[in-house]
Amino acid sequence: MANKTVQFEIKRQAGPDDPANWERFEVEWRPGMNVISAMMEIATNPVTAEGKPTTPITYDSNCLEEICGSCAMRINGKARMACSALVDRLEQPIKVEPLSKFPLVRDLQVDRSVLFENLKRVKAWVPVDGTYDLGSGPRVYPQQQEVNYPLSNCISCTCCMEVCPQFNEATGFVGAATIAQVKLFNNHPTGKVFKEERLRALSGDGGIQECGYAQNCVQACPKQIPLTTAISDVGRDVIVQKAKDWLRG
Amino acid sequence: MATAQHPAAPTIREGVQPLRAGEGTSFVWRKLHSLLGVIPIGAFLIEHIISNWEAMGGPVAYGKQVYFLNHLPLVRVLEWVFIFLPILYHALYGIYIWLRGKANVVYYPWAGNWLYVTQRYTGLFAVIYIGYHVATQRFMGVDLPNHPAAAFWKVQHELSNPLILAFYVVAMFAICFHFAYGVWLFAAKWGITPGTEARRRFAWVCGVGGFILLAMGLASIWAFVGGKYANAPENPSLSYQRTEITVQRAALNLQSGAFVKIEQTASRAS
Repeated sequence: MANKTVQFEIKRQAGPDDPANWERFEVEWRPGMNVISAMMEIATNPVTAEGKPTTPITYDSNCLEEICGSCAMRINGKARMACSALVDRLEQPIKVEPLSKFPLVRDLQVDRSVLFENLKRVKAWVPVDGTYDLGSGPRVYPQQQEVNYPLSNCISCTCCMEVCPQFNEATGFVGAATIAQVKLFNNHPTGKVFKEERLRALSGDGGIQECGYAQNCVQACPKQIPLTTAISDVGRDVIVQKAKDWLRG
Repeated sequence: MATAQHPAAPTIREGVQPLRAGEGTSFVWRKLHSLLGVIPIGAFLIEHIISNWEAMGGPVAYGKQVYFLNHLPLVRVLEWVFIFLPILYHALYGIYIWLRGKANVVYYPWAGNWLYVTQRYTGLFAVIYIGYHVATQRFMGVDLPNHPAAAFWKVQHELSNPLILAFYVVAMFAICFHFAYGVWLFAAKWGITPGTEARRRFAWVCGVGGFILLAMGLASIWAFVGGKYANAPENPSLSYQRTEITVQRAALNLQSGAFVKIEQTASRAS
């Protein structure tokens, strides 16, 4: 009797300018298996379901436990982490595609550096660099920690951006992840030194105003970050900042 | 230098461009679009539906309301500054927003995503309807600002065509939804309801408010077509008009020095 197998259909593309095509793969079922483990097996043994040898598939992955944010891809049409996508809960054949809103590198691998660039543009860090020891930072009270901790869980997977109808080349919208990080670092007692700069940055073209509040981001976020709450809070802060700037100017 | 790019660092060749931090004016235009939707457009919608409610009282009551509105001070200025121009801007910028969005409700059929799409379709429907409605009722046919008494007759005549009646009913649904969800969106995006629970509660407020507006709007439509005021007269006499004519006569009398007559006509008018 043949072992139980799992059917996959993977979108292949050798490079950014090459044509895309679909290939079918069949891997042996194992209890509790996830999509990323199947991707590993397919890459190790690159033979299609028809028995035809092919090139090993390319994909990003690292931690395999939904903490690094690398393996985001579209699985059965929905953006999600391949590591937390359990095969037993998916309809077969499982269709695996690269994220659609980022420049393709190869197969399932995309260039998500726009998020890193956005984080830099809103100064999403705590400025403590210096030539001498600055001592311990101000105390963060537990109540504040409760608000900040969920925001700090962001793994930069870009699922929130992929599922956002406003995140596209026409708007150049910054996306929910960056806005949530603005809230996180504005809440930080040392990080808030850049608060006004961050809020002004977010009022630029492609800024927070482009949000259409479809709320897909908060649905798709694998880390359950309260993204819509962050957008609302930061949206108010940006409006207040712009009003202050206008009246002071 | 700390800001120097490492030569091996990837450069973004294509795809969605990064945030243009602090650059451009789209923030102001987008927030203006958002604000105008609530004030004055939303406020006007409420006023309009309350005014329509007067149709429940028949041609004279409705005509009086039209007369009242058209005799507000600087009414033509109010009309353009607080109604026509804001709606025009809200419509054009709204279409621009729609064209730049990329709906994906097929892949992500979630409630908020459906509302996102519905807000765009109801908005477009509202634009088409308002364009037709303003053209036919405000700028074509009997000129209501000068003949407010004919208002009921004019609307009844318009709604006698079942296709146009259906158009009005569907538009009432679309506009009430667009406004109710728009207020909810406004509160969410301007940071008035940041909490999930607050947004859920406010959704009830907006939903009930929108439903009340819808019910009042549909009831007013029924007042025109329901048969209670069938074959409304084209020119019923409004007591307001009579008062005005009397006052004009009184003014003439004043010129001829007949003070007593003024008091008599004024008391008769009231």
